[in-house]
Amino acid sequence: MDVIVCVKHVPDAETRLRAASSGKWIDPDGVKFTVNNTYDEAAAEEALRLKEKCGAKSVRVITVGPARAEEALRYVLSMGADEATLIETPPDAQLDPLTTSRLLAGVIKTLPHDIVMVGKQAADDEAGVVGSALGALLGLPSYAFVTELSPDATTKTLKMRRYVEGGEEHFHGPFPAVISLLKGAADPRTPTLPNILKARKKPLTKVPLADAQAKAQALPGAPVAGTVRSFVLPPPRTGAKMVEFQTPEEAAEKLVKLLREEAKVL
Amino acid sequence: MSEARRLSAKAGGGQVVVGLLGSGLSAAAETVRAYGPDRVLVADDPRLKAFSAQGYSAVAAKMLSTLPEPRAVLAPATAMGRELLPRLAIEVGGTVAPDATDVVPREGGGLVVTRPIFGGRATLVVELPTVPCVSLRPNAFAAEKSPGDSTKTEPFPVGDLPATAASVVVEKTVVTRGDTPELTEAPIIVSGGRGMKGPENFALVEKLARVLGAGVGASRAVVDAGWRPASEQVGQTGKTVSPNLYVACGISGAIQHLVGMSSSRCIVAINKDPAAPIFKVANYGVVGDALTILPALTATIARSKGLPNP
Ligand SMILES: Cc1cc2nc3c(=O)[nH]c(=O)nc-3n(C[C@H](O)[C@H](O)[C@H](O)COP(=O)(O)OP(=O)(O)OC[C@H]3O[C@@H](n4cnc5c(N)ncnc54)[C@H](O)[C@@H]3O)c2cc1C
Ligand SMILES: Nc1ncnc2c1ncn2[C@@H]1O[C@H](COP(=O)(O)O)[C@@H](O)[C@H]1O
Repeated sequence: MDVIVCVKHVPDAETRLRAASSGKWIDPDGVKFTVNNTYDEAAAEEALRLKEKCGAKSVRVITVGPARAEEALRYVLSMGADEATLIETPPDAQLDPLTTSRLLAGVIKTLPHDIVMVGKQAADDEAGVVGSALGALLGLPSYAFVTELSPDATTKTLKMRRYVEGGEEHFHGPFPAVISLLKGAADPRTPTLPNILKARKKPLTKVPLADAQAKAQALPGAPVAGTVRSFVLPPPRTGAKMVEFQTPEEAAEKLVKLLREEAKVL
Repeated sequence: MSEARRLSAKAGGGQVVVGLLGSGLSAAAETVRAYGPDRVLVADDPRLKAFSAQGYSAVAAKMLSTLPEPRAVLAPATAMGRELLPRLAIEVGGTVAPDATDVVPREGGGLVVTRPIFGGRATLVVELPTVPCVSLRPNAFAAEKSPGDSTKTEPFPVGDLPATAASVVVEKTVVTRGDTPELTEAPIIVSGGRGMKGPENFALVEKLARVLGAGVGASRAVVDAGWRPASEQVGQTGKTVSPNLYVACGISGAIQHLVGMSSSRCIVAINKDPAAPIFKVANYGVVGDALTILPALTATIARSKGLPNP
């Protein structure tokens, strides 16, 4: 069994966001980028567990991003992945999630894959698009909001659980497939120093953007995508209006009045 | 449906067609009519009992292909809606944007979509050429019933499905939600953190939620402590919510919590510590003991709504 995991190199959760001068995305200057964004790290952990539990042949980590995104790949290699692929974009490329999906699918199509694992959503654009889109582009079933999975290699069936509105569904479906992971079964492992050193020597293939684009041409759908008109930061919150009070009852009365008459949310 | 009607009015007319997919849909088809679409296409088929993005998008694409000039596809930004639309976009050669809080027609076709990103810390405005497939964030759009009875309901034959889609089988569904609304859709959320001091005090949170018709949320600290179920966790590793009103009780306001709720329209923080970071994002702050403020708040709201004090 071959497992591919897709991760995105994204700004650290604590980054203070500033708009770029283009007004279309964040200014990457001084931003710390990381792969340890919850969903992708969980996807990587689950991919490695598939290998350990079910004897997957190899786990390949793949990303679309600028040269700096190699860091994300090395990180997952140091968690234990075997090989990596970087689809290299210009540093200021701003890709629609469908465009990203087409580039990934074009390359994944040329690689052995039984299970393609992605996170529920990327920590920056939060689209939650790539998983389902990859399924459609690769002609595979896709399952999203998955919280647990175990494959049966003889019947080529995955037993899974997924989040649904109001509860959880226990279900099964066939693979090869694409899985968007909401939550892993275990906390992502932290790379050890020896593994970090080993990861530096693991094979990493760079695919030029033009090659990936050429591979994407034969895929279904149309190469149309959204374009960003603007990236807007909210005016800084000025801090809360404080309710002054002597007794809890007074606090409650004043707060309810504010919520009703000023905020109009009651 | 309501937003589709408003959009078609803004774009100079056009029909609102509802695609209804599943198994055993007669009641749902009736509900849909109350919102006054022009047509309802009902794909009622036992093979659609279990949701699969692959199967549902195949049927939805077929429905779309029967319409001469589809302008936009809208769905709720629920788990299913968000999973379905990217596949549909590819099947119909369209574009996609999830979780919109605003949509307007775009010159030259398609839509201009506004959506929160970075956990609500920023907003992206995206132009989507035809055919835009857009999921709408719950609470962000008003639903309006539309009386009148001109809706045409038509059965839609499902035809062949991809074999892999037809073999998705749901073994069982475990309902975790009680009588409180689903968190991501709740118009009001009352959330408790470690400042509630113990699982028993969440009765105070639940009572306030009850008089407000609100959902109950929690910080990770109390989920990790086993005081509350994981389904209630709000934040980076929990749910992203954007209700009209979010009441944070005894929650410090760590960044991982804030990314899950800071796009709420109005935030109230009740916290003992005037320096708690939650007050930086809150609209209204109460510095005090949540254990005494909450019952007073519940009583005041119950009284004003003419409800019994729970
Ligand atoms: C990778 C990662 C992911 C995470 N994901 C999440 C997530 O999804 N969601 C999340 O919530 N957290 C998440 N966290 C944890 C987060 O960093 C905080 O630890 C957590 O949110 C704190 O929860 P809390 O506010 O309930 O507790 P505390 O930080 O302990 O705060 C308790 C607050 O209660 C106040 N208080 C005490 N007594 C009272 C009283 N009687 N009345 C009123 N106020 C009182 C205190 O002043 C304090 O501000 C994550 C952390 C990491 C590292
Ligand atoms: N540039 C990228 N390179 C590789 N994987 C990606 C990229 N963008 C998104 N993904 C994967 O797709 C998931 C969903 O991303 P998105 O649809 O952008 O929210 C992420 O959690 C990643 O696993």
